[in-house]
Amino acid sequence: MKFLILVFENIARNPVRTILTSLGTMMLVLVVTLVFTVLTTLDKVTTEKSANIKAIVTEKWQNPSLMPYSYAAGLSDGAADPNDPNAIHPQDSMTWGFFVGSTESNPAKRGYENLFFSFIMEAEKARTMLDNIDSLPDEQARPLIEAIKKMKEFRNGVIVGEGRLNKLKKRIGDRITVYGRNYRDVNLELEIVGTFPKETAQYTDSAVINRDFFETELDTYKAAHNNKPHPLADKTLSLVWLRVPDRISFNKMTEQILTAPSFSNPAVKCETSSTGISSFLDAYRDIIWGVRWLLAPACMAVLALVISNAISISVRERRTEFAVLKVLGFLPWQILTLVLSEALLIGTLSGLLSAALAYGVINGVWGGLPFPIAFFPKFAVPINCLWWGAAMGAVTAFAGSFIPAWSARGVRVSDVFAKVA
Amino acid sequence: MPSLEACVEVHDVHKSFKRGSEVLDVLNGLNLTVNQGEFVALMGPSGSGKTTLLNLIAGLDRPTTGSIRVRGEEISSMSEGQLASWRTRSLGFVFQFYHLLPVLSAFRNVELPLLLLPLSGSQRREQVRNALDIVGLSDRMWHRPGQLSGGQQQRVGIARAIVTDPALIVADEPTGDLDAKSADEILNLLVELKNSLDKTIVMVTHDPRAAERADRLVHLEKGRLATQ
Repeated sequence: MKFLILVFENIARNPVRTILTSLGTMMLVLVVTLVFTVLTTLDKVTTEKSANIKAIVTEKWQNPSLMPYSYAAGLSDGAADPNDPNAIHPQDSMTWGFFVGSTESNPAKRGYENLFFSFIMEAEKARTMLDNIDSLPDEQARPLIEAIKKMKEFRNGVIVGEGRLNKLKKRIGDRITVYGRNYRDVNLELEIVGTFPKETAQYTDSAVINRDFFETELDTYKAAHNNKPHPLADKTLSLVWLRVPDRISFNKMTEQILTAPSFSNPAVKCETSSTGISSFLDAYRDIIWGVRWLLAPACMAVLALVISNAISISVRERRTEFAVLKVLGFLPWQILTLVLSEALLIGTLSGLLSAALAYGVINGVWGGLPFPIAFFPKFAVPINCLWWGAAMGAVTAFAGSFIPAWSARGVRVSDVFAKVA
Repeated sequence: MPSLEACVEVHDVHKSFKRGSEVLDVLNGLNLTVNQGEFVALMGPSGSGKTTLLNLIAGLDRPTTGSIRVRGEEISSMSEGQLASWRTRSLGFVFQFYHLLPVLSAFRNVELPLLLLPLSGSQRREQVRNALDIVGLSDRMWHRPGQLSGGQQQRVGIARAIVTDPALIVADEPTGDLDAKSADEILNLLVELKNSLDKTIVMVTHDPRAAERADRLVHLEKGRLATQ
């Protein structure tokens, strides 16, 4: 502890250099924090669980999956044989279709700012089955629960994420017309009844519309087109989500689904949500590999070099001081520790500050890191970043300063005061 | 008068340096005894070996052959760690260019050697204040070296040298970078340390006026004692 004053005074010796080193460290820790934010979230959702498993049923041979809605009832029950008392029934289920459109009627003016992406689903399942919302306490999910109640009242109700509401410049209570893009010529008149809880940034650009309302709209389309159904009318079921308690139940239910004759044309497949998301992320495999194994290590190497450079300059300038310390009785390891401590202090504090700023600003101001990939428009910076930011700063500072510190340790008093007099 | 107990005993010391393929003999069988409480000035032309001798006495370098004893301790055979510890406890070093750490106040500079000793914060503070009192700089203890004159910086250097109460002080041209008035003050201070605190002082100097203040003048020439 008594040496700390020396460490602090030395750091304050050249404020410009210390601040520049610190800023360099903060910038690189920020980049790696953002990279880790995306990677850890993807890792988390693609890690297989052993309990409380969510399964996804999709079309086997086609991507995107477009199954007939007639599959919904059977699949939602896990294709359980009603006559088999040992059949596995899922604990909960949810069907998904996707309706993509725009609030802009003029196709030439359609763009990201007026884009509308929604899940066609049973509204009440937004509370019990959507990832992260299903684990929220009622207190935090209250606005969504209220919105779901309203959707039962207003069949054309829609829940829209905060980010999308802002982009569309709409508020709860407003009405919008959405012009279908994947369901061409299906235009929906919707009333915004609520938004997602602010803790679930991943849905900030998404929306939920009622399944039965949408099916009715397809009937309306049919009536308006000489009883000719929409080309996608029999392909509105993209995914069925099923919740099972454990892996044994999952395996048995998968067998039920795959062997059921009702789901053979088109054929379906059943996988855990983590496997499903992994398959979906396969398209991004190379870029994720590059980010994980090239970008992040490169940032850390550059960070180590920045610190190494600053500490090397400092050590070169202070050779005489180290020699004086040795004359006073300081041991080589004490000088090594002194130099390493300076670097560690700068690295650790800068890393911690950078991570704290990333956590506060990105989550608090932006509602998450906007990096649209798969179903994740935004990634919330995890609280863990506070320790990994500090640790990253510390580790790279240690790596970068070790050689300069070793050189300081080896300063020979007789060389510094060399005079053959 | 100095007591007759030997403080520094240099016996048959040889020191040579390698410069490329050439071997340079700097000290050649040198013998010297400095008594406890004695103030000895080392003089000689450039290259005579006086700073090399000073470094050997201070345990900053080792003789090629021969032995050096300080207050009975054989320092020429000590390990690096033992020497460092010995320097902290038993030696004060005064540099020509003061070599104070510019980022630290006078107080912190003087405190540096005490950080290596098992002392409490209050003990350290007391010793530092005493040392600064002795050199007359109590009122400047929180000034940084850049805010002090050359003479004041050298006094801080002397306070740092005596703060651990060592028996031996070695000074390498302590007045070499000072004007005549400041040099005189520093020499008075060294004499005072010798007289009132019974310190043994070995000082290298080029200045005959500085050497006159010592109890004994030792001349070196080509690595040997010329006169005592």
